[in-house]
Amino acid sequence: MKFAGLKSVENAHEESVWAVTWVPATETRPALLLTGSLDETVKLWRPDDMQLERTNTGHCLGVVSVAAHPSGIIAASASLDSFVRVFDVDTNASIATLEASPSEVWQMQFDPKGTTLAVAGGGSASVKLWDTATWNLIATLSIPRPEGLKPTDKSSSKKFVLSVAWSPDGRRIACGSMDGTISVFDVTRAKFLHHLEGHFMPVRSLVYSPVDPRVLFSASDDTHVHMYDAEGKSLVTAMSGHASWVLSVDASPDGAAITTGSSDRTVKLWDLNMRAAMQSMTNHTDQVWGVSFRPLGGRVVSVSDDKSISLYEYS
Amino acid sequence: MACVYIPVQNSEEEVRVALDQLPRDASDILDILKAEQAPLDLWLIIAREYFKQGKVEQFRQILEEGSSPEIDEYYADVRYERIAILNALGVYYTYLGKIETKQREKEEHFILATQYYNKASRIDMHEPSTWVGKGQLLLAKGEVEQASSAFKIVLEADRDNVPALLGQACVEFNRGRYSDSLEFYKRALQVHPSCPGAIRLGIGLCRYKLGQLGKARQAFQRALQLDPENVEALVALAVMDLQANEAAGIRKGMEKMQRAFEIYPYCAMALNYLANHFFFTGQHFLVEQLTETALAVTNHGPTKSHSYYNLARSYHSKGDYEKAGLYYMASVKEINKPHEFIFPYYGLGQVQLKLGDFRSALTNFEKVLEIYPDNCETLKALGHIYVQLGQIEKAQELLRKAAKIDPRDAQAFIDLGELLISSDTGAALDAFKTARTLLKKAGEEVPIEVLNNIGVIHFEKGEFESAHQSFKDALGDGIWLTLLDSKTKTNVIDASASMLQFKDMQLFHRFENDGNHVELPWNKVTVLFNLARLLEQIHDTVAASVLYRLILFKHQDYVDAYLRLAAIAKARNNLQLSIELVNEALKVNGKYPNALSMLGDLELKNDDWVKAKETFRAASDATDGKDSYATLSLGNWNYFAALRNEKRAPKLEATHLEKAKELYTRVIVQHTSNLYAANGAGVVLAEKGQFDVSKDLFTQVQEAASGSVFVQMPDVWINLAHVYFAQGNFALAMKMYQNCLRKFYYNTDAQILLYLARTHYEAEQWQDCKKSLLRAIHLAPSNYTLRFDAGVAMQKFSASTLQKTRRTADEVRSTVAELENAVRVFSHLSAASNLHLHGFDEKKINTHVEYCKHLLDAAKIHREAAEREEQQNRQRQEAARQAALAEEARRKAEEQKKYLLEKRKLEDEQKRLRQQEEHFQRVKEQWRSSTPASKRRERSENDDDEVGHSEKRRRKGGKRRKKDKSSRSHYETEYAEADMMDYREEPEDEDASMNYREPIGQMNDQDDDVEENANDRLAAAGLEDSDVDDEMAPSITAARRRRALSESDDDEPFERQLRDNTDELQDSDGELRENDHKSNGGAALDDD
Repeated sequence: MKFAGLKSVENAHEESVWAVTWVPATETRPALLLTGSLDETVKLWRPDDMQLERTNTGHCLGVVSVAAHPSGIIAASASLDSFVRVFDVDTNASIATLEASPSEVWQMQFDPKGTTLAVAGGGSASVKLWDTATWNLIATLSIPRPEGLKPTDKSSSKKFVLSVAWSPDGRRIACGSMDGTISVFDVTRAKFLHHLEGHFMPVRSLVYSPVDPRVLFSASDDTHVHMYDAEGKSLVTAMSGHASWVLSVDASPDGAAITTGSSDRTVKLWDLNMRAAMQSMTNHTDQVWGVSFRPLGGRVVSVSDDKSISLYEYS
Repeated sequence: MACVYIPVQNSEEEVRVALDQLPRDASDILDILKAEQAPLDLWLIIAREYFKQGKVEQFRQILEEGSSPEIDEYYADVRYERIAILNALGVYYTYLGKIETKQREKEEHFILATQYYNKASRIDMHEPSTWVGKGQLLLAKGEVEQASSAFKIVLEADRDNVPALLGQACVEFNRGRYSDSLEFYKRALQVHPSCPGAIRLGIGLCRYKLGQLGKARQAFQRALQLDPENVEALVALAVMDLQANEAAGIRKGMEKMQRAFEIYPYCAMALNYLANHFFFTGQHFLVEQLTETALAVTNHGPTKSHSYYNLARSYHSKGDYEKAGLYYMASVKEINKPHEFIFPYYGLGQVQLKLGDFRSALTNFEKVLEIYPDNCETLKALGHIYVQLGQIEKAQELLRKAAKIDPRDAQAFIDLGELLISSDTGAALDAFKTARTLLKKAGEEVPIEVLNNIGVIHFEKGEFESAHQSFKDALGDGIWLTLLDSKTKTNVIDASASMLQFKDMQLFHRFENDGNHVELPWNKVTVLFNLARLLEQIHDTVAASVLYRLILFKHQDYVDAYLRLAAIAKARNNLQLSIELVNEALKVNGKYPNALSMLGDLELKNDDWVKAKETFRAASDATDGKDSYATLSLGNWNYFAALRNEKRAPKLEATHLEKAKELYTRVIVQHTSNLYAANGAGVVLAEKGQFDVSKDLFTQVQEAASGSVFVQMPDVWINLAHVYFAQGNFALAMKMYQNCLRKFYYNTDAQILLYLARTHYEAEQWQDCKKSLLRAIHLAPSNYTLRFDAGVAMQKFSASTLQKTRRTADEVRSTVAELENAVRVFSHLSAASNLHLHGFDEKKINTHVEYCKHLLDAAKIHREAAEREEQQNRQRQEAARQAALAEEARRKAEEQKKYLLEKRKLEDEQKRLRQQEEHFQRVKEQWRSSTPASKRRERSENDDDEVGHSEKRRRKGGKRRKKDKSSRSHYETEYAEADMMDYREEPEDEDASMNYREPIGQMNDQDDDVEENANDRLAAAGLEDSDVDDEMAPSITAARRRRALSESDDDEPFERQLRDNTDELQDSDGELRENDHKSNGGAALDDD
């Protein structure tokens, strides 16, 4: 189990790169990479030679997240101005612009079947679900206010939702917030189930294990990665090793490993059997905001504040 | 049977006296001798016979009678015999004096002997035997030189006089001229080959002294052959055997000693050697008996010294230091010069060291060192004493020397290492490592303390791998290995209970239930703690927590483990758990200052100001105000208190600042090198506006803080940046903020990004300002204040672009885009404020929204205008180009047609051509003026304009200048307001917004050439509205300065700074603790 550096693109963007995702292969082309940056652009890359395919403009302020539809045909990008732009990957034709003011937009993810886009709604303390056929808002999964708190209480803003993840069976959504709590929702009934505790600092990234719909990984500013049994409400293990905030986490398609990107400028590979860091990549010179496994496996990509994109072989 | 015949007077008869049948009563013989007037030689023979038989009394009686005045008278002419008798008496008393131990009687004997010799001399002053006797007497008295002259007198007359030769040999021996002595002995032997064994003994001793051991041995053996009971020879041989230093030799030597002892039990030398032997065999009772006898029988200083030394050693080894000290002292007293016999000095030094009398021990060891300057043991002992006396440098020097002399002495290196640990960690590490290698080579176990110390030093130097290895070596095998491995095993904790994960002991209970034995030897606790601390440092917090809990599981009173767990929880923002853990620690020791300080920090973090102050006070009291951390915390508390008050009561502020300064100063007085206190003092000074002094302070602290992993002081970087900012040195301030962010925070601190943005704002770098704010928002998404600030930055950027006299359509277009963003940001905030997500006032945001929209409208018109202008320019340029082309074509045609025909018209034609070209140039210039290339130049013109205006205004009167400033301050006020969570509506702020609206509204009405006037109008607007807040103006400079700092110093940021400060201090406390451990380790070694 290891990473081997394949290629890095320096100055891939003019500014910090904040988001990355793989666009699955279609019948006509192989998988692509989608990156979003503070420079207000979204770029599309051919991952074999890391050649720039296209630069999408149209966002104001920085691009904070990108998401690709499982079909690989459409993708979404979101920026600090709270707009979500849905576009055709191959033509860059705009399909929809989503806005649920005053809710901000942070992490986004399409459900495994591709019928719904879940968007972490920031200060609205909710996850917004958009229908991918009609691009209508179909549900708002709100985190219930803790009892005994007045609506004006400042602490309510702590349930600021930053991250969101679909379980591989599409029945659950987990979302992470600024105060460290993770909330689990039943999607079909649009119902809040329970909190997962253990973090007390922002949870910026969440991912379910692709092989086990109960297992959820969380990355937090407290430098730890937690592995939860999301159904049993229990913390399976905590993994420490990063020197600063853990900004991003992704699970390998085989479910045997996870990778994390951190403010400490490293990308780490964790063996889930050993529950320990196997490898630490130090090629980035600034915060690593995004890491992502290729859905088919074999490749991992990371993006950083140092404006670069790095591609690794995972074996 | 030998007999003498006493001739009977006046007859031929003789009285036969059998020498072995001498009467018991010497008077009988004396009567006969006297009656018969026997020759004096007979007297002497009989006396000598008595002496031989041991009847000393009779011997003396006869001789005394034989030297009486009557005899002198009667035998007046018999000189030689008379002299012989006197000399015999002299020798006898000399001998008595020699063996007498009591000083007074000794003297008396010698006086008597002297008298007899003098008498003999009076009879014949040339008689050699008298001189020999005198010489021997002097020798016995120790007057070697005089003895020598006596012998020389004899030898001058007769160079073969055997007694004189022997005497002189003895003299030379005593003088230490052994070869001369040997020569005399040899001559004596040549002259008198059948002389007694004594000469052989003398030869043997000389040869021994000359190092000719083989020949010496032969001589002793020959002496022993001649006289098998010659104790001296026996002892000498025994000593030689002993010195051979091998088992067989020692055994043989001891046998000889024993024989000597049996022959003559009062030979001090033999006694000493026997005692020495029994000391080594551990028979202390015998040692004491033998040495006591030896002391009783000898008066010889060095021998006595040996005896005392033996005795002292015996007591020393039995642990009776008092007695040992006394005897060592006695031994030392018998020694004239230390180099004769140094051991008792060493023993005395050891005993004094043991009894704590360092000064005396020091002098004694130094005496030893004088003689054996390379003796490692002495060097180490002295090193220890110097450590105790606090003379570290001297101690280091000695220990270094010891380590150098014997590079295989592990203990010396360990001692050296411990000594160096506080002053030169690098050298200490080397010493410890050498010791470790030596011990390993020798196959000995390396002490845990040494490995621990090596680990700690590596740790301090940031060499975590080596430190880790060393700690692991020190710990060896144990439960911890399994525990660290068992991380891989699943320990499912209920997520709701996971909050308590750092208090969880189930792990160990389960472990015990599984049949494992959880054991933690006491001497490994410290190492384990250090290892955990190291794991924390390399971010393996989970493992560290397990180890801390293991320590607590076995040793519930290990307070520091609680505190570290609390610190971990605190770092993860789990305040509730952290407080619980600190309280656990306080249960163990309610006055533990570290725990109290930490509790104070936590309470501050919880915004519990009053409680925090009380806790800090308690921490301070618990140490009688000596704990600088508690004092510092109180200082910080006062400082924050001074600035947190929103109403800014100046009096209260001053009191708090003063108090803070006092507390910082107190810490600095106690610990002159306390960086945190210096930093605090710098902050207070900066707060009072003394930027230069505070800058110096901060710079020094910054320099001092670099270099140790335990000292991390980002605050001082920030403070320094604040000072640069306040002094208007924006570039340096930015650099400082950026470096700080990168160096200490992995670029994760939104607050510093905000400072950076503010600096960009002041430096009018709008885009950088906006980018910094966007980054900050990305880091701290729920901080809506940052969004507001970003909105303001965009608004300001747009306004400043629109105010420019000339700008391109592109610029205006981007301005429009930016304004749209600003409007969106403000509208969002406005909408979000409905949800009470933040503390903004809706009205205020709406004002901004409206203003931006206004600006936007204006900008759109500007954009259209700019675009129109651009279009026109383009058209004009196109027209001109086409005109020129047409002209060219026409000219060319004309040229072709008329060139030959109208040569005369050429000059006119050329003139016209030139005119046309000039026109073309002009058009081109016009075109160029609207492109960005000329932008800068024009802006500077514009700046000049502004300067001109302001000068104009200044000329109009001082009041206006003030107002000009005040209008500028609105932006600042506005901006600073934005940084404060609770926004208060202030009329002048709205005016500030109005301030924009008015001139721009006017600009709307104006045509394109309005720019020049705009400045005037803006000034006018400023003038108008400055009337409103005229009273504000005087305080502006102060306010601005304060704001420069207040960005960091106001509530929220400052709490953060406190946190930082205290975090860092916590770390430094950790370090202190480690130092304690180190010294503990040292103490353990001392005990060893």
